[in-house]
Amino acid sequence: MARPDHATRQAQPSPVDRAGGGQPLVTLENLTFGYPGGETILEDLDLRVRQGEFLALLGPSGCGKTTIMNLVAGFVRPRQGTVVFDGAPLRGINTRVGYMTQGDTLLPWRTVAKNVQLPLEIRATPRARANQLVDSYLGMLHLSDARDRFPSELSGGMKRRALLARSLIYEPAMLLMDEPFAALDAQLREALHRELLSTVAQLRQTVMFVTHDISESILLADRVIVLGTQPAGILAEVVIPFGADRDLAEIRLSNEYLGLERKVRDLLRQ
Amino acid sequence: MTTTNRLAAEPTAVGASERRPVPRKRRESGLTNTRLWLWRIFLVVAFVVCWELASGRIVSELMVSRPTAVAERLWTWITDGTLGEHILVTAQATGLGFALGAGAGMLVGYITASFRRFGDVVEPAMTALYTMPRLALAPLFILWFGLGMQFRVIFASVIVFFLVYFNTHFGVKDVKGELIAAVRLMGASRREVAIKVVIPSALVWVAAGFKLSVPYALIGVVVGEMLASDQGLGYLLQRSANQFNASGTFATIITLLVIALLLDFILTRLTGRFLGWRSKGALNPL
Ligand SMILES: Nc1ncnc2c1ncn2[C@@H]1O[C@H](COP(=O)(O)OP(=O)(O)O)[C@@H](O)[C@H]1O
Ligand SMILES: [Mg+2]
Repeated sequence: MARPDHATRQAQPSPVDRAGGGQPLVTLENLTFGYPGGETILEDLDLRVRQGEFLALLGPSGCGKTTIMNLVAGFVRPRQGTVVFDGAPLRGINTRVGYMTQGDTLLPWRTVAKNVQLPLEIRATPRARANQLVDSYLGMLHLSDARDRFPSELSGGMKRRALLARSLIYEPAMLLMDEPFAALDAQLREALHRELLSTVAQLRQTVMFVTHDISESILLADRVIVLGTQPAGILAEVVIPFGADRDLAEIRLSNEYLGLERKVRDLLRQ
Repeated sequence: MTTTNRLAAEPTAVGASERRPVPRKRRESGLTNTRLWLWRIFLVVAFVVCWELASGRIVSELMVSRPTAVAERLWTWITDGTLGEHILVTAQATGLGFALGAGAGMLVGYITASFRRFGDVVEPAMTALYTMPRLALAPLFILWFGLGMQFRVIFASVIVFFLVYFNTHFGVKDVKGELIAAVRLMGASRREVAIKVVIPSALVWVAAGFKLSVPYALIGVVVGEMLASDQGLGYLLQRSANQFNASGTFATIITLLVIALLLDFILTRLTGRFLGWRSKGALNPL
């Protein structure tokens, strides 16, 4: 697999202890949130995502997972408490994160390559450097052959990969993913899980991943935070010991995985 | 606005499986291209032949003339320069009226959609003006601008203005908030959001507004010429009809038809350069 020249762009702990140490990259402290005029959705939430870890937020639909992501992205402001990002309280939109949602936010009038290049245009990256980055990210996500296609000419999986490339190309400190594969069939989702894990391992990317799918959270994350409903609070935290270069097919059949799944399922049932 | 809505409907993406092939060019009529064109030409030829045969037998030639007489009239007008002269006058007014109306329509539409509060204040007035039959404005405009070219240009531009205005306004408003949020997160300023997202996204609608309003610009000018002018195709039409000259009337109508088709063709080619992506993929409506 093509390895981008900036693969080790962040000074981070080795992948082995990525769930362990590491400086907190984002900290939500005593955070309370409700939409204007609405009831409280999050109350006294404390949450920390460490540098280099893959954190999954797991919870039932409507419990406030997307809201947490929007807080970290700076699209909404907390009623009380703060979002501290990389040591400083967040003000305005957080341009240091990449954000991939379930929606299709590729610009339909731009080709795949031009879509992936968009963040670099906005950041005024020099032409030569930009072209080089686009090539390496398209290569990494197996999109080189589709570079000149328009989004309407892509399959669902290709769109997901193009969105992933676009979210990563500007080297965000953290990648936010809000049920990014929810609309895909099981087989395709499995392929994309593998692709995501290898990309994240290569880039040592910090990820905050939202899902309501128990197995997805266990298969991907280093740590799963289980959320309850209304106002949302943390029910439990489960450390997943599989490490960065895990083999998904193998894990899925292991007793360890089955035990974790049962444990999380019980937690959610409370 | 049902017409424009339909014309500018967003292309819908359909969740497809990973192995979906690259879609081929659509051929849904079930006819090969050559056959399709042969049938189309046949239809026109059949119509002309029926017209020729019916004229003087079933319908009075005084009313419908006949294709050969119309062709003769057209040929005379082309060779003696009459047609060229009148076409030039009409084309100038149409082009100018379209450019003015479309330019103003895009500008105002962009502003009312971008600045919500201002738009909320202005919108009802715009809708009221739009629903008013614009032909009724003609006498007022004659009063203001006299009988010359100026009147026709302004009359046409007012008609074009509203069509382009509404398409631009709704086009800009229709831009998916999701797209804007995504680009904002990449660090885009307000200006960059406009250039990279809002304008290209609204362009589909604006182009639909253009396509819709070109024939109206022509109609506006021709009606203006019919009402008050001694030049242009509208004048030629009016004069021929007043003189019970059916061949002249039909010759002018056919000329107008050709001009309208030509304008539509040019516009489609021009906007196609920017909207090429719309025809890619299997499921786009346009
Ligand atoms: N823009 C909004 N305005 C008001 N209420 C909202 C808005 N977005 C979400 N909510 C409410 O906030 C709660 C949490 O929503 P959300 O964060 O989207 O949940 P999840 O992503 O976990 O499904 C839900 O009850 C939802 O109805
Ligand atoms: Mg959600």
